[in-house]
Amino acid sequence: MRRPRSSVRAGALLAIAALALTACAGSTDEPAAEPTSSGPPEPVEIRFSWWGSDTRHELTQQVLDKFTEKYPHITVVPDYTDWNSYFDKLGTSVAGGDAPDVITQEERFLNDYASRGVLADLNELGLDTSKIDENVLQSGTIDDALYGVATGVNAYSIIADPAAFAAAGVEMPDDTTWTWEDYVDIANEISAKTGGTIYGAQDYGFNEPGFSIFARQRGESLYTEDHKLGYDDKTLADWWQYSLDLQAGGGEPDAAKTVEVDAGGPEQSLVGTGTGAMSWFWTNQLTAITNASGKELKLLRVPGESEEKRTGMYFKPAMYYSVSAKSEHPEEAALLVDFLLNDPAAGEILLSDRGLPANTDVRAAVQDKFSPTDKQAAEFLADLEDEIVDGPPVPPVGAGQVAEITRRINQEVLFGRLSPADAAKQYTLEVEAAIGG
Amino acid sequence: MTEVHVRTTPTDATPSSSSAQRISALADEAPPVRYRSPWPDRRRAALKHLGLIALCALMLYPLVWLLVSSFKPTDLIFRDVSLIPSEVDWTNYSEGWNALQYPFSRYLMNSAIIVLGSLLGNLVACSMAAYAFARLEFRGRKLWFAVMLMSIMLPIHVIIVPQYILFAKLDWINTFLPLIVPKLLATDAFFIFLMVQFFRGIPRELDEAARLDGCGHGRIYLRIMLPLSLPALATTAIFTFIWTWNDFFSQLIFLVRPDMYTAPVALRTFLDSTGASSWGPMFAMSIVSLIPVFLAFLFGQKYLVKGIATTGIK
Amino acid sequence: MSVVTELRKTAKGAKAAPSRRGLRNGDGKAAAVFLLPWFLGLGLITIGPMIASGYLSFTDYNLLQPPQWTGLENYTRLFEDPRLLNSLRVTFTYVFTAVPLQLLAALALALILDRGLKGLPFYRSVLYLPSLLGGSVAVAILWRQVFGIDGLVNQFLALFGIQGKGWVSDPETALWTLVLLHIWTFGAPMIIFLAGLRQIPEMYYEAAAIDGAGVVRKFRSITLPLLTPIIFFNLVLQVIGAFQSFTQAFVVSGGTGGPADSTMFYTLYLYQKGFTAFDMGYASAMAWLLVLIVAVMTLINFFASKFWVFYDD
Repeated sequence: MRRPRSSVRAGALLAIAALALTACAGSTDEPAAEPTSSGPPEPVEIRFSWWGSDTRHELTQQVLDKFTEKYPHITVVPDYTDWNSYFDKLGTSVAGGDAPDVITQEERFLNDYASRGVLADLNELGLDTSKIDENVLQSGTIDDALYGVATGVNAYSIIADPAAFAAAGVEMPDDTTWTWEDYVDIANEISAKTGGTIYGAQDYGFNEPGFSIFARQRGESLYTEDHKLGYDDKTLADWWQYSLDLQAGGGEPDAAKTVEVDAGGPEQSLVGTGTGAMSWFWTNQLTAITNASGKELKLLRVPGESEEKRTGMYFKPAMYYSVSAKSEHPEEAALLVDFLLNDPAAGEILLSDRGLPANTDVRAAVQDKFSPTDKQAAEFLADLEDEIVDGPPVPPVGAGQVAEITRRINQEVLFGRLSPADAAKQYTLEVEAAIGG
Repeated sequence: MTEVHVRTTPTDATPSSSSAQRISALADEAPPVRYRSPWPDRRRAALKHLGLIALCALMLYPLVWLLVSSFKPTDLIFRDVSLIPSEVDWTNYSEGWNALQYPFSRYLMNSAIIVLGSLLGNLVACSMAAYAFARLEFRGRKLWFAVMLMSIMLPIHVIIVPQYILFAKLDWINTFLPLIVPKLLATDAFFIFLMVQFFRGIPRELDEAARLDGCGHGRIYLRIMLPLSLPALATTAIFTFIWTWNDFFSQLIFLVRPDMYTAPVALRTFLDSTGASSWGPMFAMSIVSLIPVFLAFLFGQKYLVKGIATTGIK
Repeated sequence: MSVVTELRKTAKGAKAAPSRRGLRNGDGKAAAVFLLPWFLGLGLITIGPMIASGYLSFTDYNLLQPPQWTGLENYTRLFEDPRLLNSLRVTFTYVFTAVPLQLLAALALALILDRGLKGLPFYRSVLYLPSLLGGSVAVAILWRQVFGIDGLVNQFLALFGIQGKGWVSDPETALWTLVLLHIWTFGAPMIIFLAGLRQIPEMYYEAAAIDGAGVVRKFRSITLPLLTPIIFFNLVLQVIGAFQSFTQAFVVSGGTGGPADSTMFYTLYLYQKGFTAFDMGYASAMAWLLVLIVAVMTLINFFASKFWVFYDD
């Protein structure tokens, strides 16, 4: 029995060591890497993490090869996976004190990472942002520090199938003037006229940017600059009421079908499968949905842009490039971000893979090479340029949970388990808890 | 093996015949009811076959769907859900094989390495521990057994971060070590418990006889327990293979560089729920990575049916 | 069951044999050798993270910053969380339906596939195939298609004039499709049962056959009692496993536990808390509550096993 006991003690010691480790996981390491002033630069290895599917991995690898051509002393280790697993892996590696040097970030999580000291201020690292739109830069700025710079921009919009409209004998709306009532009426009419073979619209309630736009149209907002909620519960209830009107009028499928379609993602959306006329998506999803539907689709402004106090649509950073605050080679990491962002060679390869390029020079240079659907999206965004007033602030810490809250409470509403007013109350409560904690 | 036959057969006769006698004695007391099928055997067998075939069809439907989908272009997979493909299109396979940074064989190889290490670990280390728990009398046995069971009650998601920190400290991140070494050290309590149950099913008289012949525990374990629990070892091998091959989460977390990715991790990189996913190539490579597990199952199954019945003990 | 009692008596008689006691002398040393890898694994790999998660359950830990000691706060929060209560309800419903049903299916098929029919290896392989797929993403898509509104199930029901619904996407039925999915992957316990059947000495059957015992009697008097250790194993491990069910719910619901939390398993909720809400301290407290629940269930199982599990040693 002596052996077992001693190994228990060893185990306990090890556990304590593990605890100590956990405790120091967050503490800062020396920000090393003095730029070498003379002589050939030391070989350096940095890690770059992103999410996506195989097309993006391939394009990015091509860019990384170009980068290494330009800076032979820097080796970039790619670290990629799909969206669903990306943040599990990132969170764990940050906890283990082993964060990637260049981190791709998303709007909802940027503040979580930034406010906890994981990300470096890109301004301090001397990143060149002269060719990037001020609004876009603002979308990665928290308390005057630039924690992420947008890879490119998208807008939340309606993807419509003109063939479905034609089949129903309904005219495409003028999207600069249509109201929310129009939206409901048109959708109901399409469903009615096609006898339900084509639905007018897919439910929009599963994604909170839709509500963000709705609130902005009324001069409110989902989040405020000081990380609070900026809408009236009545506004939120109205937003859901339109969904219920659509459901009641047949303009959108019943709750179960809606949940089913929503779970299928862009490819299995109503428009993607040719069974619906309108779905809400980001402009960069146009390509995927067009391919899935096999038809030419059209981007529309969301309804109500000229109905209330102001326009609500905005440019959303598709994702952000960030640099780890604990990177051993922050200079080289910044060099990579600069290359991805500002070098036409990178832009030529990536095109619109990470949204419409944020660097306006690069955008102008590569626009001609876009695929037809990307060109369509680019033109749509260009048209919006004058209408968009501002961008919403960076979502607060805890915003990552809001996607789930939105989807769940929307389902409660669609299944008739909560009235819009009660749902709004509960939503506000839950989101407050999420972003307050 | 032959040794086992010679050794065990005579000693074996005593206890078994006694139980057999008891059974026959009891059977004598029982009313002489004979269960006879109203149908001739052949017809009953035919019915069984029919039922099984129907069940197989039901069970196979999803796989057939997967297989058929792997031959459809990605944009048709969700639009056309019929089981008969309009044309057989191999491009998903060629594309899927080459779409990622390395040919898919690389990821299959990585998976294979981890599987082989885990097989070795689970078969040797877990059966050793199981022997101790099943056959040895030592202080704190029940306590240790409880600790062992408890170690599989904590969900992986709260263990993974401390584990990551531990393995990072050991500098094992992005190696196969975090995925193999634990298996070599019998951390998979499932298999220990499994083998304990099987070892306990082997009549004690056998090892006692061996003991009287002067065998130590090492020899009893090697010459009696292991050969007699071939089905359990085959089960362990099959499950280790399949579960390690399909294990996604820990492989995702501990393997950082794409050249170390395993098949399930690589499969995920075809998908992007926020944009365009390559469903076709993903399905094709799913089929490809199912082949090794299925072969492993077919191979392991041969040993599964070699129970006590066929190892010389009656 | 009288034969079992007899067998048990035999076993007890054998246990009392003097030679048995002699065998146990000096087992401690041998045990240390046989358990060496396991002890190393426990000390080096298992215990550390376990204790760490125990410690973290008393802290506010967001993964990104060092944990802050908060005492029992996480544990008191457990009792004020309605969604946690809901996840427990979902999980218990699942455990108490999916586990027994799957074990029954597995046992029945293992008995049919054991022997006495041509082509058994073929059937075994085919019936095991679904279990090979495990938590693959393909399964998720497939499940949604089979149980979708225009899915296979509804097409079948339509033959009988029954109007189906979206089984996966309706909060009333979503959990039951996961129970079905669990039953559908009965391969693993089936294999274990098959291996267990193979371990039953042929002599018992031969003796019984001589005495003219029929199929049912053989099953009740020999197969079933001698298989109880394996049934017990499957039961204990399946219960432990089912309480930790994660992958299938995760892939089928796209990680949401939806619709409307109807498939929000305990571990899925725990995972969301830990990785999406950056509340690893709370997730750790949840994990230890789960350990407590599962340990109690396992203890009950072990206690009850005294009344029905028969060991031949």
